[in-house]
Amino acid sequence: MTDVTATTAVAQAPAGQKKPRITQRQKAKFVDFLFVLPALVLLAVFTYYPVAKLVQISFTDWNLLKPEWNFVGLKNWKWLFAGSGAKYLWNSLKVTFLYSLGEIFATMVGGMIFALIFKRMTRSFSAMRAILFVPKYVAMSSCAVVFLWILNTDYGVLNYLLKLIGLQPVDWLNQESTALLSVLMTTCWRVLGYGMMIYLSAMMGISPQYYEAASLDGANGRQQFFKITLPLLSPTTLFLLVTTFLSSMKVFQSVDILTSGGPARSTEVFVYLIYRYAMVDFRMDRAATSAVMFFVILLCITVATMKYSNNSVNYDA
Amino acid sequence: MNPETAIRKKHHSAGYHVQTVVAVLITIVMLFPLYWMLATSVKSAEEVQRVIPTLFPQSFHPENYLNVLTRANFLKYYWNTIVMTAGILILQVGTGTLAAYGFACGNFKGRNVMFYLVLGALMIPLQVTFIPIYIMCANWGLADTFLGLILPESVSAYYIFMMRNSFMAIDQSYIDAGRIDGLGRFGIIWDVLVPMSKATIFTVTLVTFSNGWNAYFWPKIIAKNEVRRVLTVGLAQLKNTFAGQAVSNYHEIMAGAVLAVLPLIILFMIFQKYMMTGYSKAAMK
Repeated sequence: MTDVTATTAVAQAPAGQKKPRITQRQKAKFVDFLFVLPALVLLAVFTYYPVAKLVQISFTDWNLLKPEWNFVGLKNWKWLFAGSGAKYLWNSLKVTFLYSLGEIFATMVGGMIFALIFKRMTRSFSAMRAILFVPKYVAMSSCAVVFLWILNTDYGVLNYLLKLIGLQPVDWLNQESTALLSVLMTTCWRVLGYGMMIYLSAMMGISPQYYEAASLDGANGRQQFFKITLPLLSPTTLFLLVTTFLSSMKVFQSVDILTSGGPARSTEVFVYLIYRYAMVDFRMDRAATSAVMFFVILLCITVATMKYSNNSVNYDA
Repeated sequence: MNPETAIRKKHHSAGYHVQTVVAVLITIVMLFPLYWMLATSVKSAEEVQRVIPTLFPQSFHPENYLNVLTRANFLKYYWNTIVMTAGILILQVGTGTLAAYGFACGNFKGRNVMFYLVLGALMIPLQVTFIPIYIMCANWGLADTFLGLILPESVSAYYIFMMRNSFMAIDQSYIDAGRIDGLGRFGIIWDVLVPMSKATIFTVTLVTFSNGWNAYFWPKIIAKNEVRRVLTVGLAQLKNTFAGQAVSNYHEIMAGAVLAVLPLIILFMIFQKYMMTGYSKAAMK
């Protein structure tokens, strides 16, 4: 602590007389600051510095296979938007948003339907709810290899069932038309129970008086759902929308294990694109440029959703 | 039939029973992948490759697990995963709790700006920043080391945010009382703030644990070598090679998958209530 006193004393030198008291208080403030320091230093080194570095790399021609690099101005950015990189960029943007839409739909609509089916407050239903929620805790990698096996073309159980009911087996993971659907299937299994739990716990918070009043006025079940339940759940829906949107943009693991971005880049989501440039092609310049682009997209989504949520409908229950 | 059951029977409409049937069917479908993982993991290589899959294993082969643990080096991956998760947990909880105290109770210049920096970090995932971090770690000689696996994940803005909110909800008079009793800052954190926000700490720590255990992206990048490979990456690797050779061996892959999820499923069973409310609590905010 000696150096702390020394610096504060120097800083306070011109102030003169009241030195001891102020030093004491400043010391307390400084010690409080020390508590946040480790976290701030780690954030600076592992979050903020890398972002700055990323922007810098995007203006170079850095390739891990070459020892030296030079600044090349906007070359990478031109390549990304107008050059040969553009078609991959748009492709992965399209794939990512399609995936996002699917995951959001499964979490919100699927979760809501599940919540309505499983809302009964009995022991057996509580057990079933727990079973539905378990997949959220199954590591994505385990989950992905299980679906790899279920969707297997020759020995997979899903194709066996299809054959049983007289349909053609599908080459789920190896054709462009079904690959993304297969990834989404895996996702659905993981998020449905989660969406259900979130909606259920929010439904529990709705006062029964609303429903009593509605029944007195002669509202049927469907009217009650659309006029009471759904509007009162709008904050929950917004929460699910924002968090699912942001997390689904970062999807990587399931794609990596199930399809490796293929076939013909039909499941190449944005993170996979960056990963491929950096760790497969070793083109750090292109990877960094795409990563900056990805960061800007995430930023836009966050800002947009925050703005929207500020003036969103929120009936205070 | 006594009158009571008659009333109850009447109470349950056709819709009630349809709902029950639908719920049970959905549960069976949702449970199936887990069951299938378990069932396949004890089948023989021959049984796995049958054109008509067997719903129940016809012979029991627990040696699949032994194969995965020893030949495919899963013991090593287990150890790596445990050390990595523990390291991440300790560092995130440590730095997070201290920072949460500083932001909640401290009163220094620039506190709000610094807190916004923490919140801003929520928007910057590793999937954006991994390139410079990878270069940095490689330059520091951290590739294929525990430090390399742990350090980039050592602070969690989410943890700081949740803990700060929890600490701020505690009435100032408790903290003052602690001060009067002669507690220092660490004393206040340990004896006043932490016990009073037990529920939050518990749920947030569980989430942190499960995130660490399931981490895939960063471990795949920084630990390419066998020595520091973690379970999730090792499992994904199994589908390509088994002990160095390419095969179709889903019985062993499933055994690996079971091994990878077992700790989390056990944890879920023990702490089911907390884990389920933990997520809904986050949703209520």
